Parts: sequence; structure tokens; C-alpha cells
Amino acid sequence: MRRDPLLAALLFGATLVLAACTQTPIDSGQAGSIAVAEAMGGGGAEGFARATEARPFVFPQDHGPHEDFRTEWWYFTGNLDTAGGDEIGFQLTFFRHALAADAPSRTSRWASREVWFAHFALGEGGRGRFTAAERFERGALGMAGARALPFSVWVGDWRVESVNGDKPFPVRLVASTDDIGIDLTVDPRKPIVPQGNRGLSQKGPEAGNASYYYSATRLAARGTVTIHGEPISVVGSAWLDREWSTSALSQGQVGWDWFAIQLEDGRDLMLYRMRRADGMIDPHNSGLLVDTDGTLRRLGPDDVRYEPGRRWESPRSGAAYPVEWRLWIEPLGLELEVVPMIDMSELDVAVRYWEGAIRVQGKEGRQPVNGRGFLEMTGYETPGSLGELTGGR
Amino acid sequence: MSRLLRKSGRRYLLRHPWQLALSVLGVALGVAVVVSIDLANESAERAFGLGMEAVSGRATHQIVAGERGIDESVYVALRVELGLQEVAPVVTGNLSVAGQGLLLRVLGIDPFAEAPIRARFGAMFEAGDVPLSAFLVEPGTGVLAASTAERLGVAPGDELAIRTGTRRDTLHLVGLLRADTAREQQALGDLLVVDISVAQELFGLEGRLSRIDLVVPEGADERSWLDRVETRLPPGATIQTAEARTQAMASMTQAFRLNLTALSLLALLVGMFLIYNAMMFAVVQRRAQIGIVRALGATRRQVALAILGEAAAVGLVGTMAGILLGILLGSGLVRLVTTTINDLYFVLSVTRIDVSPVSLAKGAALGVGATLLSALVPALEATSTSPRIAMGRSTLEDRWRRGAWFAVLAGSTLLVVGAALIGLTERSLTAGFTAMLALVLGFASFAPALTVLLMAGLRPVARRAAGVLGAMATRGVVSSLSRTGVAIAALMTAVAVTVCVGVMIDSFRQTVVRWLATTLVADVYVSPPDRTVGRSGLGLDGDLSAALLAVPGASAVASVRAVHVQEAGGQTTRLIVLGVGEDSKPAYEILDGSFEQIWPGFSSGQGVLVSEPYARRRSVAAGDQVVFLTDRGERSYPVLGVYRDYATELGVVAMHSSSYLRSWDDPGLTGIAFFVEPDYDIETFMSGLVEAAAPEHEILVQSNRAIRDEAIAVFDRTFTITAVLRLLVVIVAFVGVLSALMALQLERMREFGVLRANGLTPGQVWGLVVLQSSLMGLVAGILSLPVGLVLAWVMIHIVNVRAFGWTLSMAVNPILLGQAVAVSIGASALAGLYPSYKLAQASPALALREE
Repeated sequence: MRRDPLLAALLFGATLVLAACTQTPIDSGQAGSIAVAEAMGGGGAEGFARATEARPFVFPQDHGPHEDFRTEWWYFTGNLDTAGGDEIGFQLTFFRHALAADAPSRTSRWASREVWFAHFALGEGGRGRFTAAERFERGALGMAGARALPFSVWVGDWRVESVNGDKPFPVRLVASTDDIGIDLTVDPRKPIVPQGNRGLSQKGPEAGNASYYYSATRLAARGTVTIHGEPISVVGSAWLDREWSTSALSQGQVGWDWFAIQLEDGRDLMLYRMRRADGMIDPHNSGLLVDTDGTLRRLGPDDVRYEPGRRWESPRSGAAYPVEWRLWIEPLGLELEVVPMIDMSELDVAVRYWEGAIRVQGKEGRQPVNGRGFLEMTGYETPGSLGELTGGR
Repeated sequence: MSRLLRKSGRRYLLRHPWQLALSVLGVALGVAVVVSIDLANESAERAFGLGMEAVSGRATHQIVAGERGIDESVYVALRVELGLQEVAPVVTGNLSVAGQGLLLRVLGIDPFAEAPIRARFGAMFEAGDVPLSAFLVEPGTGVLAASTAERLGVAPGDELAIRTGTRRDTLHLVGLLRADTAREQQALGDLLVVDISVAQELFGLEGRLSRIDLVVPEGADERSWLDRVETRLPPGATIQTAEARTQAMASMTQAFRLNLTALSLLALLVGMFLIYNAMMFAVVQRRAQIGIVRALGATRRQVALAILGEAAAVGLVGTMAGILLGILLGSGLVRLVTTTINDLYFVLSVTRIDVSPVSLAKGAALGVGATLLSALVPALEATSTSPRIAMGRSTLEDRWRRGAWFAVLAGSTLLVVGAALIGLTERSLTAGFTAMLALVLGFASFAPALTVLLMAGLRPVARRAAGVLGAMATRGVVSSLSRTGVAIAALMTAVAVTVCVGVMIDSFRQTVVRWLATTLVADVYVSPPDRTVGRSGLGLDGDLSAALLAVPGASAVASVRAVHVQEAGGQTTRLIVLGVGEDSKPAYEILDGSFEQIWPGFSSGQGVLVSEPYARRRSVAAGDQVVFLTDRGERSYPVLGVYRDYATELGVVAMHSSSYLRSWDDPGLTGIAFFVEPDYDIETFMSGLVEAAAPEHEILVQSNRAIRDEAIAVFDRTFTITAVLRLLVVIVAFVGVLSALMALQLERMREFGVLRANGLTPGQVWGLVVLQSSLMGLVAGILSLPVGLVLAWVMIHIVNVRAFGWTLSMAVNPILLGQAVAVSIGASALAGLYPSYKLAQASPALALREE
């Protein structure tokens, strides 16, 4: 259950705070959190569809938007290599957030109940440089939106679209700012896998407090990355997460840590844990191992042990992120050490979070294992603030 | 020695408190008028600037098009295809709050595009001030400045009855804009911020944008960047700098503001006469004393400095009082200025007077400077003669009588300079005003000499009417020419100015009345209720027009569409589109031609008419071409003729609707004029129109007569401020005469003592003094008439043409002239009352002991 609606809400709050921040930097975390409280305000879920029971995913329809649900995202991350041996991590994500379940009929075509936003980040391993940017649009007039066939998601001129109109994959990812740009074609090397219980990812004890969630854990990526006007050819491996829901927030949660790991032996591993204010293990923590042939193995809350290591303190936000980790996945006999490609992988958006490329090495019994992946960490900025926001205390 | 001089000066002033008070009052009034006008002007300009800044933000460029704006797809292309980030769509308009008479500027924005342009409006959702979902999703929602909401008595959650154009509507207030500083309050005071979807729906502009704001990077990239954007623009749309647009709007009111400034300087000029008068008197009265001090060894320099020091002290005190008074007066004037700007130019709300240090410094410098300048002549006067002669008062008066003829020479030179300035320049308004100033000073220089002549002529008459006293009165005026001359000059100038302004306004008014009578030929006029809103392009929508046209009783119909269009040269021009036929055509007065001749070409769309101000501003004449950016691209229109138009000095182009509809997709109407069938009752017809519009719309239905009255009311309102200034000038002049007479008469205490001792009764003294004052008033009044008329001629035919481009026919109302003379005599007689009372009261013995 990565990227709970909470994140979407936080980011959504960020869109508005950003408007203020572009000119005069302010304590965005605080300002944003108020906006979130408003965005997530009581009764907001009424009228929206809820994820109550597992359902089979139907493609290509499920690549497109699910407008009955409040929140939805298309989340691409990956590790790329240049011909010169440099490593580059990338993130390109699109979020849809509905402000209301239904809207009055209007004559202006600007009228919309949907806000879209997107994040784009590049981490340059060689230079140790991390650059991120964001875009916002309302879901109107073709300024932002998504479509199942031919598959396409876009916010402004940042977009993901299928290369051949009649089938979803391979898809092309295109985004650029004044400083960085990306133009990648990605194609799945494994079947799409449902997360949670046959695609229903339960967030909390209440019925409907869940999302529909699927992933493509290994996509071959090839294309160009542009850094300060210089195009660089790259090849690598990417990961796609798709999720939509109308979930309410659980009480007592302060943030989460999420790992997407692609091992060199061809296996992929997704792990997350919710951090609770009371320090207890959240029963909804989960994990999934996708074998080389696509076979799945689910991991329960007690199957994985997380040990945060070295912390990196962001000079911008003051948040101290545990950028190094040690993980024990006991049922598999797997012990992994996680180090970041770049410590400074905090996205400088109004409500900041850490999301960056990682290197993984460890052992499985006696066998050494290696891999790369992506790590997302939230809720380290102002301890407890997420809990307050969600009415947790 | 200097200390002695200073002390003696101080003692002198303190022993003559009235004189001191009047000098200070003179400076104070002069400074007050200048400061108040400056403050009013500056406050209006600043309010305008802040208002513009609030809605333009950091935008360096704007994409604009005609009245209906730009297709919204242009913005989408810039955003999605070019991926531009520093670009924001805007839909603007004006609406009025029902029952409150308050006009609001509506700013329709896309919050997601605001950050780089107007960070303020992106940020208003933070801190929960404004709920985004209500703002974005729900129709008819908006946000007001907290102070405005308070003024209207509404709070978030409340509904506000509004009217856009003719349509009655409701607005749901969903939040407040925070304005922490007075500056911000001014900037946001009249702003209603809504989502762009709401703005489109309020104004019926679905699919259109009023403009697109851009931040274009500076430097080498700018050109290529603009080129990239320009390729995406449809015909009719242009990209212009935000600065140019702001300046274009600011320049609309430039002539108006310059006129006010010129009038305020005139008040200062009259004030200077006053100071001059007071200082001169102080010098004259102390001639003997100055002679003694000089004999004791004081240098000329010390004496001159002492007098200038006194003047500086008077100037300083007067200036400070004047500044305070000016601030008070300014708060009143700013309302008048704002009313005029709203009536004639654009929606502007000035929530407060902005006391800028610059205005105050300007006033202070002018006040102290003018005082010193005025004291310079007396100071030189006091020092230029040898100590022995300085003691003799008659010496001075002799010199003055001789000097009067030099003044005539100097005055003639000034008149020549003034005439040359008028003759040699063609368009410069500043040259026009400078010429006026030269003429005023020139004519004023004639006053002493003419006084001598007139008094010589009046003496036999006065002798016959009032005996010896009459002769004494006329002689007294001449024998004290050093004081009476200046007082008469000051009074003459002030009265001449009132004559000039009076004749100018009269001529203007009559011209406008005549023009209205010939132009307004229909019986009934329908328009949106607010003039200002109508000017912003909102008019009668299609359904409403159809309903109105279906009302029975009309024999012919004329429609008007008033829009703003872009010229190829980049200017925004007001275009009046006339939907008129043979039976409803207006009676335009064409310069050097006849409308009948032009009509066939005009009505078939072969060309346009331009108004007289337009022709002058753009140097366009019949036969030239006007090029507009239309919805079909650039179109060139031959100018068929220049017509008289007093509706706006900004200049308009008139086009027939057949021609307009060929090149613009804008079928809307701003107003409809109906010719009612001869046997049909006009009242019935008018109520038929109102019923046809109700209940959804509110329209203004006016009879020919009502609309004419309203136009005249606006005209009169526009000149209120001028009338107020005129009154101020008269007050300044009155104080000048009073101080001059007081000084003059009180100085003659001893003389009157001798007369009283020789048998003159208090009543006779009283009569003598009042007679003398009245004679001065008579002279000033008589002289002011020709001077006032000459000034009026310059004002009407030179300044007015240069400022506004209007031809006015000069109309002189004899009553006005009679009034001027009466005011002049009355003011002088009144000013003579107090001194005569003092003199009559004084015991002859005491008066004789005075020295």
C-alpha cells in the first residue's frame, strides 16, 4: 500500500503551497499541512466509489483513469546507465485527485473537479546531483488527463503514451524542464502483478479503506536523458506502480518507508512499512517477491525486519532521513544492505519527501546477492505532524 | 548687527500680528492647493498602479486581442504543446454589487498557473483561507479582500447580489483575500477574484480569454522566445509588453491630471502675489528703520539676508500649515478625481489618500521657494538705495510710479513670449500651459500702470460723486502704488482666472449640449445600467436584444456596439460599431464635409469615421487609412471623414455594423436606440422594454431627454473639481487683497489721524477707506475682463485642443462677466471693512503718536 492517499493529499496541498513558495520561500510544511486538512476534510469520501473487494484487472481499461475514485497515480521509477558507465536514477509520476465526487453542470470548459500534478526527478550518480520539478493542471481542456486507449497520461507537456496506439506497451515517457529532460521507452519484461489480496490492497480495518494496486516490477528502459542541454543515451530498468482508491487515513500513522528492489538474479522485491506514532508494527505492512518467471510470494507484517542505519539530514527541511538500511526477509533467508545512490534525494516540493535510487547488496544464506532499486521515505520532516493531520490524536 | 536685524525683524512681525497671519495664510493656502491636487493625483495614480500590479503581477508581456479576447485553445497550446510554465490565462470584467453602487474588477484566474505570475492568488488557498474545491468546482464562487467584504457586510458563506452588464446574478463568497498592509488593501480593494471558469460564465465569455499573461525571459532569448509564441497566435491577437499596456491606461488620464496640476500652480502663483505683497509691505513700512540700521553700519548684504530670513520664517510656517491643510483638502479632492476617472476612463477605487513624502517635499520646496522668490524684490528694494534715501517713503512710491512703466515693458515682453509659445508650438500641452503662465504674468505686469491711468480717469468722476473724499480715494490708490499695484494685480489675476475658467466651462457645456441635441436623435435608449460596466464591453446579450427588438411600437432601430480593438501599430482603440439604417442614422457633424455625402460609403462598409480627438491624436485625416487586427487578420479601412465627438477625448473610430461583422465574430450589442412610432406612447413603449428584460436582466431605459440630462450631469461632475479649484483661487486672492488693504490702511494710521484731527468724522474715514478699496476692486475687475477673455481663448483654442483634441465654440455669458466685476468689487469692499473699522475706532491722538 505504498503512496497512501495521504501522500497524494500532501502533494496536493503542496501544489497550492508551491504557488506561494515560488516567490517567497516559507515554511511550507506547516502551510501545506493546513491545506491538507482542508483537502482531506470530513465527508470528502462521500459519493466516491470504494475498493471493497478484489476484482480482476482488465486491460487496457485499467491503464486508464478511474474517475469514480478520488485518487489515482501512475508511478514510474528506475535506474539507468550511460555508455560512459554513469548511473542515473529517474522518477516520473502522475497524480489525479478529484475535489468532489460529482460537479454541477457548467458551461465553461475550465470547470473541472479534478486536479492533476506530476513530479519529475533525476539523480546523477556520477555528479551526486539530484534535480526535481513538478507541474500542476486542472483536468480540463486537455491540459492534463489520462486515457486507456491509446494509453496516455499527461500533465502539460509531460506525458506517458503508448508507442503503438493499439496496445498499451511499450510506452514512451517524456518530460523536461529548463535543466533536465527525459525521453525513455519502457517495455515490461514480466507480467503485470496484482498487489495485496489479488489487487485489493487493504489500508485499514474498515471495509473500503483499501486501494486497487498493480505493478509492473521490471521494465526494460532505453532512451535519452538530457542534463543542462546535453543529451545522453541511456539503458536501464524501470518499475511501474498503479493505484487508485478513495481511502481514508489510518490513525496513528506518522509516515512510511517503501522499497522497490530489482535483484541481479532477476527477482523483484517490494517492501513497505508504515511507521506508527506508538512504535508498534502496523498490521498492514506488506511485501511481495516476484520471481524471474513472474511467480508471486507474499510477505506478511512479521516476515520482514527493518533496521534504519545512517541518517542524512536535509539542509533544506531539517528532516533526518535514514538513507541506509539493513533488511532481513526471514522466510527467504535474505539479508540486504541498502545504500542510497545520492544522499540528497529529497524532492524540493512544498511537502518534501525522499525518493531516490538505491544500491542493494547482501546474501541469501551463503550466496551473495546484488541489486538496485528505489526507496521512498515520508514523514521525517516534522515528527508527528502526519498523525495530527489525520486526526490521530 | 545681524542679531539686531533679526531681533528687529521679529519684533516688527510680532507687533503686526494680522499682517503676519495673512502672510502665513497666503503661503499656506497656495501650498495647500498645490499639495492637495498633487496628493489627489498621486493617490489616484498610485491606486491605479497598485491595482494594475495586483492583476498583472510579474507578467512582462500580455497576449491580447479584440473585445472578445482570445480563444482559450491558444493558451492550452502554449501550455501543453510548448510546455510554457510562466504563462497564465486571465478573464476580466467589471460587475456591480446590487444596491451598493460598488463596482468590482473581476479577475478570473487559474490557480495552478498563478505561481510564477501572481503568487498572491496561488497562495490564498494555503492556510485554508479559501477552500479550493468550492473555488474551482462550484459555479458563481469568488473571493474578496477582507476589507471590501467588511464594507459590503458579507462574510464567507454569504451570497452577494450582483449584476454583470444587464444580468442579475448571485455570487457566493467562499473566502477572503488577506491584505496585511494598507498598500495591499489599496491594491486588492476593488478586486473580486474568481476561478477562470466562473469569470467566463459571469461574462458569457465561454471559450474566450481576456488575455494571457507571460513572463518572457530577458536577454538574448527574448526575441526567439517571442517568435515561438507568436507562431501560435491567431489573427487579431498580438503580444505586447505589460508596461505598454499599463502606460496606455495611465496615459488616458494624463491630460486630465495635467490640467489639475496647472490649475493648482495657478493658485500658488496667486499665493506668491500675496507673499510678495506682504513682504514688500514689511519692507516699505520699515524703510526708515532700514535706513537707520544701514546708517549704523549694516551692510546691504546683511539687510537683504535679514529680510530673506524673515521671508523664510514666514514661508516655513506657512508651508507647514499649508501641507497640513493640503492633506485635509486632498482627501476631499481625491474623491472628485476618482469620480471623474470612473465616469470617463476606467474603474478605479481609491480607498485612501496616499500621503507620499515626495508630494509633501514638492509642496514644501514650492512654498519656501515661492516665498523667498517673492521676497527677493523687496529685499533688493530695501538694500539698493542709499541709507539716506531709504528713509524716505515717497522716494519709493515715485520710483514705483516710474517703475510701473518698466513693468509694462516687461509685461509686453512676457506677452510676446506667450504668444510666440502658442504660435511656434503645435501639440505641446506644456508649452500651452507655459504660454498661459507667461500671459498671466504679462497681464499682471500691466496692472500698476493701468491703475495709474484708470485712477486719473476716475478722479473727476469720483470728485463729482464723493467730493474731496472721492479725489483723495483715487489719489490714495496711486500714491501707494507699491502696495495697491500688487494687490490689484493679484486680484485681477484671480478674477481673470475665474473668468477664463468660467468662459471655458460655459463654452464647453454649450458645445456639448448642442452636440447632444444633434447626435441623440432617437427617442428611447437602452443600455446596461452601469456606464462603466458598459464601457468594459459587456452589453446586451443576444437573447435580451431579441426580446427588446420584439417590443411593439418602434418605427426604427439603431444599435451600438462599443468595443476595444487592436491597431496594427499596437495601440488599443475604441471602436463604435453602428447598426443604423437610412431611417435611424445619426446626425453626425463632419469637419470639412457633410455626413449625407459620406453616408452611402459608410453604411455600405467602405470605410470608417474617426472622431476629432482621434484625428488630432493620431494625425489622421479623411483619405488616410486605419489598420485593425480583426478576427480575419489585418484589415485596412479608409477614413471617410472626421466627426465631432465629445464623448471621450481618447478618440474613437466609428464603423458600420455591416463592416464590423464581416471581420469580427462579435454579434453582441452595447446599446439599442429606438425611434418610437409617432402615434405610440413613449412611456408605454419604455415600460414594454423593461418588462421584456425582466426578471433576468436589469436594463437602463432612458428617454432622449433623460440621457441628455445624464450626459450633462456627468459633464458637470467632471468640472466640479475645476469649480472647486476656481473657488480656492478666489479665496487666495481675497486673502491677498485683504492683507494688502489692511497693510495699506493700517500704515496710514497717522495720515488718518491728521485727517481726523482736521475734522474728518469716523464715518467719513470709514467711507474713504471702503471707497478706496472698492476702487481697487473696480480696477481689478475691469482689467480682469479682457485678460480673462484672452486667457479663455487660449484655454479653449490652444490648451483644450492640445489636451483633448476638441473644437469648442467660445461662448461668453455677459452675466458671468458682470459677476466677475461684482465679485472683485465686493471682495475688495469686504476686505476694506475691517481696516476701516479699525481706523474709525482709532483715537486721532493715539494715531498721531504712532510714530
